[in-house]
Amino acid sequence: MAANETSAMTDLDDQDPPIRQGRFSVLRVNTAFWVLIIDLLAMGLFGLLSPDHVFLTPENMTNIALDSAAITLIAAGVAVLLGAGELDISIGANIILASVIGGKVMFNVSGGSEENYGVFTNLGWGITVGVIVTVLCGVLFGLVNGLIVTKLKVNSFITTLGTLGIGTGLALVITGGGNVEGIPTELQEAYGVKTVFQVPVPFIVSLVLIGFIWWLVNKTRFGVHSLAIGSSREAARRAGIKIERNVLVIFVLVGFLAGVAAVLDLARFTSTNVGGHQTDALAAIAGAVIGGTALFGGKASITGAFLGSLLAVILLTGLVILGFPPYFQSITIGVVLIAAVFSRARSWAIKNET
Amino acid sequence: MEASLTDEVGSVVLSLREGRKEYGHVRALQGANLELRRGEILALVGDNGAGKSTLLKSLCGAIRLDSGAVEINGSPVELSSIQTAKDLGIEAVYQDLSLAPDLSVSDNVFLGRELLRSGARGRLGMLDRPKMARESDEALRALGIQLKTVEIPVEKLSGGQRQAVAIARAVRWASAAILLDEPTAALGTRQTQIVIDTIKSAAARGLGVLIISHDMPRMLGLADRIVVLRHGRNVAEYVSSETSINQIVGAMLGETV
Repeated sequence: MAANETSAMTDLDDQDPPIRQGRFSVLRVNTAFWVLIIDLLAMGLFGLLSPDHVFLTPENMTNIALDSAAITLIAAGVAVLLGAGELDISIGANIILASVIGGKVMFNVSGGSEENYGVFTNLGWGITVGVIVTVLCGVLFGLVNGLIVTKLKVNSFITTLGTLGIGTGLALVITGGGNVEGIPTELQEAYGVKTVFQVPVPFIVSLVLIGFIWWLVNKTRFGVHSLAIGSSREAARRAGIKIERNVLVIFVLVGFLAGVAAVLDLARFTSTNVGGHQTDALAAIAGAVIGGTALFGGKASITGAFLGSLLAVILLTGLVILGFPPYFQSITIGVVLIAAVFSRARSWAIKNET
Repeated sequence: MEASLTDEVGSVVLSLREGRKEYGHVRALQGANLELRRGEILALVGDNGAGKSTLLKSLCGAIRLDSGAVEINGSPVELSSIQTAKDLGIEAVYQDLSLAPDLSVSDNVFLGRELLRSGARGRLGMLDRPKMARESDEALRALGIQLKTVEIPVEKLSGGQRQAVAIARAVRWASAAILLDEPTAALGTRQTQIVIDTIKSAAARGLGVLIISHDMPRMLGLADRIVVLRHGRNVAEYVSSETSINQIVGAMLGETV
């Protein structure tokens, strides 16, 4: 303030301040664009280095698309949640619990039995009901998270840390520690590994849903309100925005996406994956933040979340093809995450130096 | 809901009689009175704890008075919530936290009152951003605020511009009065001037403007009248052209002048 007063005569910034250019401002404004460049560079690099350029074959592209179907979807949902200033680290547990319950229902309604493995007497109904139950479980999980956060006013990190444990535990109690096996292979053929012009159907489903989320965030009142809540809760409250209802809807949306991801698990592997998904929520957060979503709200880039979470899949696939242990992927993603946030913090600091 | 210019400038737009509010043992207001006229800027001054904020909050619906009669345009009203006050044409501007910094100027002006597209897309909640931008721009220009674009995030504006945008938003929606709580407290000289100019334009549009500020010299130049609160009561009222800072401070501190 003092500087402002003493240099008032020369402070032209007062007159015409918009768009302050810092060295990193392009990075800041166009994070999604830069992540796209990084994605393409990584793909090009792996293409060059891989034997016979196998990385760039259509088959490998199909694999990458299928592998990224679930995580890009979750990352898009997480971006909305982060944009509204909330967190959900229970997504992996949600996927596990939804797939376990939905898988059990699917198996039993289909008329499957231990004795006649792979024989189903009521396949159509079984798959339909199973899919619906799986998605509903995801929605319900999200609803519970949302209600605890909005009604009981428990911080969302703590809430979902709690439900992370509860969800995983419940799933393991239901299965006795194992997986639900014997999901009808018909679901796998019709959805899990089905492709249209080499594009996996689950990836198409994810793209459609991500497109819908993009529209929600960028074009609708719901999107503006969500970001307003994350940007300044007090300003949102004073503007008469129904904060609790809005936050609840986002948690339900994320739960729905987890349910869809759970269906994909069942369809792709004809089994649940109770041992996996521990890092799904954190990977989604990393993808969203790399893509330009603010960890503490106000900004959400759905395109960035898609591209940021895609990077993790590209890296994993590429490193494995090159013969590196897959663990190098998590190291790389960790470095990228910190670098991305650092460069944005730098640009923010430059912007505010005046 | 824009200020109707047919309402006569000078008529009482907002009044409070015998406003009382206690917080436990603290008597924040003990029979405060206020009359705000259209087109005037009324400054509310007083020492810390004199009841200024309580009075302002009660008039924008943020708190409820224990007793007291509020009238808007001569009709008795019950300001039971911020929303009720807004519906009755009263908007408040706070020292900070009025705007969402990440959102564009235009989205902020329409925050909570977004314009939707017509037809099915509107029913799905789809925004009419071009119209919002156009109307935001008009609302800002009407108060003499020039921005290159209303699409930039508020966080890229200077402090004075932000507060000017917050005031423009209040003016856009208020039909009776705007209430300002220390709108320049966090600003430097030049930035403050932007805000002062905006406040003058708001009053010129026929709204009543009530302002709380510690900045006595500036209030003396800005306000038409100055009401002094002390211990939750009005103790003095001055026409600002006919008083001095010493006189006002004396009244604030309860000294006989």
